[in-house]
Amino acid sequence: MNKKLYRKIEPYIWISPSVILMAVFILTPILSVFRMAANKVSRTGKLQGFNNFANFTSVVNNPAFSLVLKNTVIWTIAVVVISTVLGFMLALVLNNNFKGRKIVRAIVVFPWATTLVIQASVWNFIINTDYGTLNTLLLKLGIIQEAVNWTPTPAAYFAWEIACGIFVTIPFVTFCVLSGLQSIDTSYYEAATVDGANYWQKLRSLTLPLVRPSLTVATVLNIIYVFNSFPIVWTMTKGDPANRTDTLVTYLYKLAFYNGRQGEAAAVSVIGFIILLICASTYMVYTLRKGDDT
Amino acid sequence: MKKLLTALLAMCMVLSLAACGGSPAPASPAPAPASGSSDAPPAAPGGEKIPISVIAAEYGQNTKDWWAKFQSDFNAANTGIDLTVEVVSWNDIYTVVNTRISGNAAPDILNIDVFADYQADGLLLPAKEYVSEATYNKMYPAFLEQSVVDGTVWAIPDLASARAMYYNVDILKNAKVEVPTTWEELKAACEKIKAYDANIYPWGIDMTTDEGQAAFAYYIWNNGGDFTDANGNWTLNSDKNVEAIEYAIGLVKAGLTNSDPATDTRYALQDMFGAGKVAMMIGPNSIPTYIKDGGSTINYAFAPIPTNGGNPSVSAGVMDRFMCFDNGHSPEKIEAIKTFFDFFYDDARYSDWVLMEGFLPATSAGGEIVAKADASMAPWVEIVGSCKFYPTAKAEWADVKQGVINVEQQALLGGNVKELLDSLQKQIAG
Amino acid sequence: MNDVITHKEFSLKKTVLRILLYFVAIDVCIFTLYPYFAMFCTALKSRVEIFSPNGTIFPIQSMWSNFIDIWSRAPMAQYLLNSVLIAGGSTLIAMLCGIPAAYALARMKFKGQTAFLGFIIVSQMFAPVVLLVGIYQVMQTLGLTDSIWGLIFINAAFNQAFTVWLLRGTFMSISPEMEQAATIDGCTRVQAMLRILIPVAAPGIVTTLIFIFINAWNEYTVALCLIQTDTLKPLTVGINTFNGYNMIEWQYLFAASIFAIIPVVLLFMSIEKNLVSGLASGGVKG
Repeated sequence: MNKKLYRKIEPYIWISPSVILMAVFILTPILSVFRMAANKVSRTGKLQGFNNFANFTSVVNNPAFSLVLKNTVIWTIAVVVISTVLGFMLALVLNNNFKGRKIVRAIVVFPWATTLVIQASVWNFIINTDYGTLNTLLLKLGIIQEAVNWTPTPAAYFAWEIACGIFVTIPFVTFCVLSGLQSIDTSYYEAATVDGANYWQKLRSLTLPLVRPSLTVATVLNIIYVFNSFPIVWTMTKGDPANRTDTLVTYLYKLAFYNGRQGEAAAVSVIGFIILLICASTYMVYTLRKGDDT
Repeated sequence: MKKLLTALLAMCMVLSLAACGGSPAPASPAPAPASGSSDAPPAAPGGEKIPISVIAAEYGQNTKDWWAKFQSDFNAANTGIDLTVEVVSWNDIYTVVNTRISGNAAPDILNIDVFADYQADGLLLPAKEYVSEATYNKMYPAFLEQSVVDGTVWAIPDLASARAMYYNVDILKNAKVEVPTTWEELKAACEKIKAYDANIYPWGIDMTTDEGQAAFAYYIWNNGGDFTDANGNWTLNSDKNVEAIEYAIGLVKAGLTNSDPATDTRYALQDMFGAGKVAMMIGPNSIPTYIKDGGSTINYAFAPIPTNGGNPSVSAGVMDRFMCFDNGHSPEKIEAIKTFFDFFYDDARYSDWVLMEGFLPATSAGGEIVAKADASMAPWVEIVGSCKFYPTAKAEWADVKQGVINVEQQALLGGNVKELLDSLQKQIAG
Repeated sequence: MNDVITHKEFSLKKTVLRILLYFVAIDVCIFTLYPYFAMFCTALKSRVEIFSPNGTIFPIQSMWSNFIDIWSRAPMAQYLLNSVLIAGGSTLIAMLCGIPAAYALARMKFKGQTAFLGFIIVSQMFAPVVLLVGIYQVMQTLGLTDSIWGLIFINAAFNQAFTVWLLRGTFMSISPEMEQAATIDGCTRVQAMLRILIPVAAPGIVTTLIFIFINAWNEYTVALCLIQTDTLKPLTVGINTFNGYNMIEWQYLFAASIFAIIPVVLLFMSIEKNLVSGLASGGVKG
């Protein structure tokens, strides 16, 4: 075989298993979503021909849509930002050597190791006004005198959902950062200490830049996963009342499987895709350029 | 560390073997094709048996076992047929069924609540084609009428449930309240109960995405209103409907109900009723079984749903169905499907099916057996013969159902019922 | 390792920091474990007690039988086994496909590199819920509906993005000098990767492994639609048995869920050592 030619095609051979896997199992379904979005779709999912983007116009003209879009943005930003900050701090703590560290690390994995449907059900059980365990606990401890309604407004409910989202996302961030922290050469710190840098200076000028690559990947994927997250909101409120706690994914799920409007649901997911694409590509172009410098 | 290394090395053996053999093709062999085919479902032995696939809804704890036994009994009795029943929980059944239909893999027989969408897409066979005459004639005609589109019956009822008002006898007695029969009495009773014990919710309301349409139906029907007029035109914003929903929302606003009707599902209400936290609620005939299984010891009874304006009390009926998908069946297969339904609606087996989860029968013979077997069911068998059903045969029903739930929730947040129903009516009826 | 930082400072300050550290660690544990505590107590209660207006923290009468009943009420052991097979299989395949791809991205220059990275990210931008219908059609074509293999492939595919991106980052942070030296000594690229790069990259690989395993373990929606046969269901779908038309049996649902956490935590604890000490072996330049 021609060695030069082989050199040229070698990288493609290396990436081919990954490409094939994703092309078959993800790209094909994605294409069918696009096809559905552009077609009139019957209630049971039969395609009935191109309908001049009627799915998109009817989605965008629905007053609930802008509300849902706003919720999705709030949900994504709140969960990603707060869980990244807290997860990062937790990783710094867990990177220290202390007795029982192994146990603490194992415990931190718990929220991640639990199916989201169950996790969200438990949260519902904790915050419920009437039989919630949080009220019971606080009553028994004498902190409150009578049961508190933790979810008096839709906004309060949504806040709890965000809290639950943060709770299950922290372990992911923590372990991404932790794996980055572990690969930092300790000699850097020794040198910095000799130079008289204090903890914060070292954190800012050493730790952060070095952890950045793993944090960047984790954040991009996190944005996507959180944006598309379904089980927490679905289990806790199903988007009730009146779309006040809906995100795009729960909204389109209701459209598809409750209202039988699969074409419109596909249109919503294409819109969501475009939003993600714009955000992620901006972010990626920015960080990839930086990443390639090193 | 070493252990992990060994594991990883072993894992990548395939890779290194392929590469170090001198061949310049270092790609890992894609494992997809080889492993995929080895696990394909085995072909039917001989190909002689007629396969029938059924998707059935999971009504409760015993449904799965019941169908498993049914399947083995049926296959033993009909050696020429290979029946497989897949039981799917209510939470997921729409997702599963719609995914399958979109994938052109509809089951032969489906047990679910709705049918109009499938019929509208021309996916179903008329009931008379796949049900033997003897079995067809067992059904209550009123039930069959619920599945008529364009003069043809498309689905047959498998069971029904009806709703009534349940009340906690002890709470009502202690609060010195009579069982309410009208809306004024209901409101007065709620106020008295609240005065008696502020920690008790006098009245339970569920306006969630789960079953908010049921609340809508209870109030409008018992105020003389309805979803449609006699000609089947939508009348969602009729004055009586507006009045009814305003009354229900008023109860919530006055603090006489559970605190969060938009997120408290019927399950939660039933559980709170069983725990003595909710004094009165409208619920299905299965509540007694539910309460007993939960180990509750409350003293309760049921009564007709309170009404307004001298209208007769209307119970809401919920009916589920069997339907047969038009998968291009051969005449032999149609015969096999008929055999399936004959087997299912066999009187003894059918009443066993209905009693198993505490539901109500949809056949007259079944009704007699059930009423005889369980005295507490007798009044319910009466009720179910006269209750109203959702207009599920209409194609817009899915939108109406989501629409009325949305109206209720908007109203809970302070929206104007009249305006909300007007705009829903406009959206549905054009 | 950050001990180095406080290493030469006053011991009083060090003690305060230690106490603070433990304080934070204990708080984190309490906070994290609270939902599990609630779950456990609920699993031990009868249904009436769960919803009782005079709530209790601990069950009045612990119904340990709930933990035993679930094994006879549903084929839990089979569900567990299926989950292990699905999660384990997905991890293996995701790694087999992902490691070479990440290696190529980190060590070779080729046209379409950025496009490939972009493609991977784009592949993640649709929620599985959205793709259900399409996935089902693909699986039908391949004859993989109602098969554990179908779930293994789909989970492996959904986790490619994380696998490739994280491993690419890890590989790039490791200096290629040692591999180059090995190649000069007559090793093939594959051998160099296996013998030199992968051992050094162990922490990143372990993180990736755990991530894929947990994701596949928790996958629900696709499994729900693909699997028809009861004995092929993973645990997440199987425990739906306790979620009926007229009742949700919380005590069983939670008892079963507690069992579902155990294998993941065990896996994590057995593999966690590598996460901690991975780089102690040295030879890495940041």
